[in-house]
Parts: sequence; C-alpha cells; structure tokens
Amino acid sequence: MGCAKDIVEHCGVPRFVFSDFPLGNAAGKPHDIESQRQTLMLALDALDKASAPRTTLTSPQQWSPDTQWKTNFYSIAKLSDEELAQRRAEFDKIKAVGKEVRDQAEG
Amino acid sequence: MNQTLTSAPVEYMQRMRDYYLALGYNNPYQWAYHESVPFHALKKSVTQSRIGLVTTAAPLKSGAGDQGPGAPYNAAAKFYKVYTGNATRDDFLGISHVSYDRDYTTADDIGSYFPLKALRSAKADGHVGKLSPRFYGLPTNRSQATTLKQDCADLLAMLQEDEVDLAILVAN
Repeated sequence: MGCAKDIVEHCGVPRFVFSDFPLGNAAGKPHDIESQRQTLMLALDALDKASAPRTTLTSPQQWSPDTQWKTNFYSIAKLSDEELAQRRAEFDKIKAVGKEVRDQAEG
Repeated sequence: MNQTLTSAPVEYMQRMRDYYLALGYNNPYQWAYHESVPFHALKKSVTQSRIGLVTTAAPLKSGAGDQGPGAPYNAAAKFYKVYTGNATRDDFLGISHVSYDRDYTTADDIGSYFPLKALRSAKADGHVGKLSPRFYGLPTNRSQATTLKQDCADLLAMLQEDEVDLAILVAN
C-alpha cells in the first residue's frame, strides 16, 4: 500500500494498492474509517485477484477536489536563492543527525 | 481561491531529483529498481490466511525529540534494525522520521498510515482468516544492499517464525 506510484512501480512489487493521496496516507484518509476500510479491502482484493507481478490497483478515492497539494510537494518554483540555501542548511543538519544515529546503531 | 485540477499522480522521483539538485546536491538519489519481481499466486484465499502487517513507521524513541503529529522531519527517530510489535495492542507509531507531506497532512491519525485497526475489523467481519500476533517494522534508511541482504532476510525470518501466509507492507 502506498502513495508514491512512480517510486513503487519503478522498484517493482508483486501487488500494489495506489492511493493518490499526499505522502503519509497510504492506508486511507485520516479520521475517516470508511476510507481506511475501503483502502484495506482493495489490498485484500489485490492479494486474492492478482495473477502476475507488478499488478497495481488504484483506489478510486480522491483526497480533495483541489489538487494543489500535487503541485506544491517539494516544489522549487517559488523558492528564492535564500530559501534554497536555508533548506540546504536544514537538510545538512538532518543528514548529520541521521548519520550520528546510524553510527550509534551500528556500533 | 483558485483550484488546481490535476488527475495525474505526482512524479516523485523527478520532483525530488529537481529539488535536491536545486539545493546544490549533485548526487541524485538512485531509486531501487528490479528487473525481475517475484510473484506467487495464493495457495489459499485471504479468508483462510494469516496476515502480517509490515510498516515503515517507528516506535517512540526516548530522548529523540518530537515524533508526534506535525513534528518536523526527525532523523533522530530513525531505526536501523527490523523490529516487531504486539499487534494486539495499540502502541504509538510515528512517521516523523520520513518525508511525508507535512503541508497537507499531519500524521495525527495512525489509521492513515498503519491499518491495524482496519485489519482487526476486516478479521471480525470475516474478510481475513487470522492476524499475526506481531507486526513488523522495516527500516527506511539503509542502503539498497542492506535492505535486500539484511533487513528483508530478517523480516522474512520473523514472518516465517509467526507462520504468516501473506504480508501487507504499508510504505511511508
């Protein structure tokens, strides 16, 4: 179950349920039990019915009539040079923390 | 307010390549690609099978800062070994350690990224046979070689130990 269609299909998996939702909602809409139930049922369908690898079932659910979220994710269109530099600095910090945690985990 | 109507899925690989190049990194991420993908048709139906839930979400890590809904990207919350949890309980699992869409969602409902309650309901309604007593956590920050050779091998051993017939991976 996932929301990044191109990444999962590029990787290749036996069966894939694609929800066209913002990343973080692969199991359905937040606070929407019916959305989550339908998404899981599609996953069970994929298990039962797929006959070949790389089978993708697409959820018919829509996140919102407004699809601005698709345009905005990781968009660089409106970022100034200063904002890009700030994000670079933030990401360098994140990477440094990640490396420290990984090094500790691996002893 | 202008609405943007786009039916095509986001092209995340291109978007993220462009983003990190714009930030000045000149080593674009190499996404995993497999020419050959394994597949096995079911030997028994889902209603007769034991299901195991696999997640990339992380258990709460002491001293690692904000890991709750709306938390900023938190690399300190990452984990590096496959773990298991008790699938009969409802413990906290977060996704602060991955790049989800923080502008349009807040991860304040675990059911949107970890469908354990939905699975329990499906079992109660007879749509699945059994649930594994454990769920399984899969690291997201490994090299592709480590994912394949270590993490996937560890995960498979745990699934087999629990006699799981079918695994559902929910990627975040």
